Amino acid sequence: MSPLISLQNICKNYRSMPALSDVSLEIQPGITGLLGPNGAGKSTLIKVIMGLVRVTSGSGTVLGNQLGKQGREIRSKIGFMPEDDCYIPGLKGVEAVQFSACLAGLPSTEALRRSHEILDFCGMKQERYREIETYSTGMRQKIKFAASIVHDPEFLIFDEPTSGLDPEERENLLNRIRILATVAGKSVLISTHILPDVQAICDHALILAAGQVRLSERLEVLNRPTSPTITLRVAKASTEFAEDLRRLGLTVDTTENPMQLRISGDSDRLADQIWKMAQRHGIALHSMRPSKNSLEEIFISAVEEASIAPP
Amino acid sequence: MPLHKVGYRGWGSKKIPASRRWWIISQTGIRLAIRSRWVRRLMLVCFFPVLYWGLGVFLLEQYIAQPDLQSDIIEIMEQRERFQPTQNRRGRRNRDRDRNLPPSIRRMRGYEETLSMLPKSDELFDSLKSPDDGTRHVVWSWLLMTFFRYPQAMLLLFLVGFIAPGLISRDVRSRAFLLYFSRPIGRFEYIAGKLLVPAAFIAFITCLPALVLYIFGIMLSTDWSVISETWDIPLRIVAATILVILPTASLALMLSSLTQESRFATFAWFAFWIMGHGAWLAIVLTQAISLSSPPFSNTVMDSALVENWSLISLYNNLGEVQSWIFGFDTFLNIWPSFMILSLLTLVALAVLFRRVSAPIRI
Repeated sequence: MSPLISLQNICKNYRSMPALSDVSLEIQPGITGLLGPNGAGKSTLIKVIMGLVRVTSGSGTVLGNQLGKQGREIRSKIGFMPEDDCYIPGLKGVEAVQFSACLAGLPSTEALRRSHEILDFCGMKQERYREIETYSTGMRQKIKFAASIVHDPEFLIFDEPTSGLDPEERENLLNRIRILATVAGKSVLISTHILPDVQAICDHALILAAGQVRLSERLEVLNRPTSPTITLRVAKASTEFAEDLRRLGLTVDTTENPMQLRISGDSDRLADQIWKMAQRHGIALHSMRPSKNSLEEIFISAVEEASIAPP
Repeated sequence: MPLHKVGYRGWGSKKIPASRRWWIISQTGIRLAIRSRWVRRLMLVCFFPVLYWGLGVFLLEQYIAQPDLQSDIIEIMEQRERFQPTQNRRGRRNRDRDRNLPPSIRRMRGYEETLSMLPKSDELFDSLKSPDDGTRHVVWSWLLMTFFRYPQAMLLLFLVGFIAPGLISRDVRSRAFLLYFSRPIGRFEYIAGKLLVPAAFIAFITCLPALVLYIFGIMLSTDWSVISETWDIPLRIVAATILVILPTASLALMLSSLTQESRFATFAWFAFWIMGHGAWLAIVLTQAISLSSPPFSNTVMDSALVENWSLISLYNNLGEVQSWIFGFDTFLNIWPSFMILSLLTLVALAVLFRRVSAPIRI
C-alpha cells in the first residue's frame, strides 16, 4: 500500500532552535495517532505537512503533492481541526461552517446545505443558530470538527480533538472519527495526549520526541508482546502455584493485585500448561486472556529513550 | 435512526476557483459589519449631504436656465466688486462702514465669505460671472470636490474607524487566522478580501452618493447637452473614490494588523488623522497669531510654509489630490501630496503583508 504522506530527512529550525531534526516517516491510509510530550514538534510536523511553514531541509510528498511547492493543493485535500479555540467573532455556528466550506471552494448555497448536513452528523441541533461566542467548549469543538470535514477532504488532521469534552461527547466524537475512517474511507492523523483515544481508534502510532520520530508502527504490532503472555486472574493467591509455573521455565510477574498474574513463555502450549498447574493446585481461574503491551509503557519508554539519547 | 439522519455523505461537485475565494472573505466581513446598528446609521447619514449638495445643483440649473436671473446675479457681483470690503488700519474689516452697503451686496458678501473659505472658490466665482458651456462642468466638479472633501471625509473617518480596526486584530485575537490559512487561501487573498471590506464601505459613502448627485443633476437639467458637457464627471468620481480608498483602507488595515486589541487600532486610526491635521492647524495658527502681533503685523503669511507643512495632514493631502482629479489643479502642484499618499499606501501594504505572515510562521 503506497503511503499518503512520505517525508524524508525533514529539518525545521526556528532561528537556531531545532523543532524537527531529520524526520523521516510514512503515513499509511487509516487512522494514525501522533503522540509526543509537549514541545516534541507535533504542531510543527502538522504545519509542515500542511505546507504552512517552510522546512529548513528535507523533502517529501503529501497526498501526491510536493511538499513546499504545492501548499495550496495539499491544503485543498486536507481538513484541519486546530487545537486552539479559533472562530470568527459574530458568526453563528452554521455560518462558521458554511464560511469554512466556501473558503475550501464550495459554492455558497451548496455550502449552506452541506453545513446543515455535517452539523446533523455532528449532533448539533438548534444551537447551530447561536453565535459561537455563546458556545461551551464542547460545542466549539463540534463546530471546529464540522468545519474541518465540511468540504469532504481526503485526509483529516485533528489536533487534540477530544480535549474539553465530557466522556459521552468524547465517545461520540471518537465514533464519528471511526465512521469517517471506516465508512467514508478517510485517512486521519490524530495528534493527542490522551493515549486511550489512540488505543481506541488508531491503526498506527507515531511517537515524536525532541523533534525526532521515536516510533512508528501499527498498533496491532505494538500491542503484541515479544513472547506469548497471558494475564491470569485467580480466585486465591498462591505462592506455590507461581513457583511451580516458574519451575516449568515460564516467567511469572505478579502485579499490584495479588490475584492477578502475568505469565509468559516460549511454549506454544502455554495455556495448556497453566490449566494443568491450576488443576493440580486446586485453584479456580476467574479469567485467562492474552496480554497486550500497554501503550502508556511504550510511550514512556520511547520518550525516555529520547531524553537520554544524544542530541 | 431518524429519517433526516443520513450519517456522513461525501461531496464531489465542482469547486469555485481559488482566484475568487478572497470575495468570500470580503462578503463575510461586509455582512458582519452591517450587523452593527451604528454602521447602518452612519450609512444612512452619509446620504443626507446629497440633499444639501443637490440644492447647489438645483440652484445652478436655475441660474443657467433663467437668463434674467443670470443678469441680476452678475449685476450684483459687479456691484460687489465696486464695494470692496473696507478695512481699518490694522487690516481688519470695518464692520461699521459695511453696514451702509445695500442689503443685496451685504448678502452676497456673506455668501462669498463663506464660499471663499472653501478651496478653489476663485475658479467657481470666475465661472459664474461669465457663464458659458463650461460653467456647468466647473460648478458640478467644484460641488463634488467639496462633497468629497467635507461631509464624506468626516463620515469616512468615523465609518472606517468603526469597521476596519477589528478586521485583522480580532482574527489574531480569536485565532481565526488558523481557519483561513488551513484552507487553500494565501496571504494575498486574505489581505485582498479584508481590504475590500473598508473599500466597499468607503465606495458606498463617497462614490455612490456622488453618482446619485450627478444623476440628480442630469435629471434637473433642461437639455441633453448636459451629458456631453459632463460625461467625464462620473469617471472623476470613480478616480477620486479609488484615490481615497487605497491609502485609507491600507492604513486602517495596517493599524489593525499591529495589535490584538481592536480598540488600540481604533485609537491609532483617529490619532493618525487628528494629530496630522491638528499639527498642521497648530503651525498655521501659530504663524497667524505671530503675524498679527506688532513687530510682524505688516508681514504677509508665508504661504509656502503653510503648504509645505500641509503635507503632514492626510486630510490635506487627500484634498489636494482630489482638487487635481476634479480639474482644479495641475499634477505639478499636487505631486508631493500624491507621492505621500502613494508612499503611505505602499508602506501600509508592506507592513500588512509582513504582519499577516507572522501568525503562521510559528
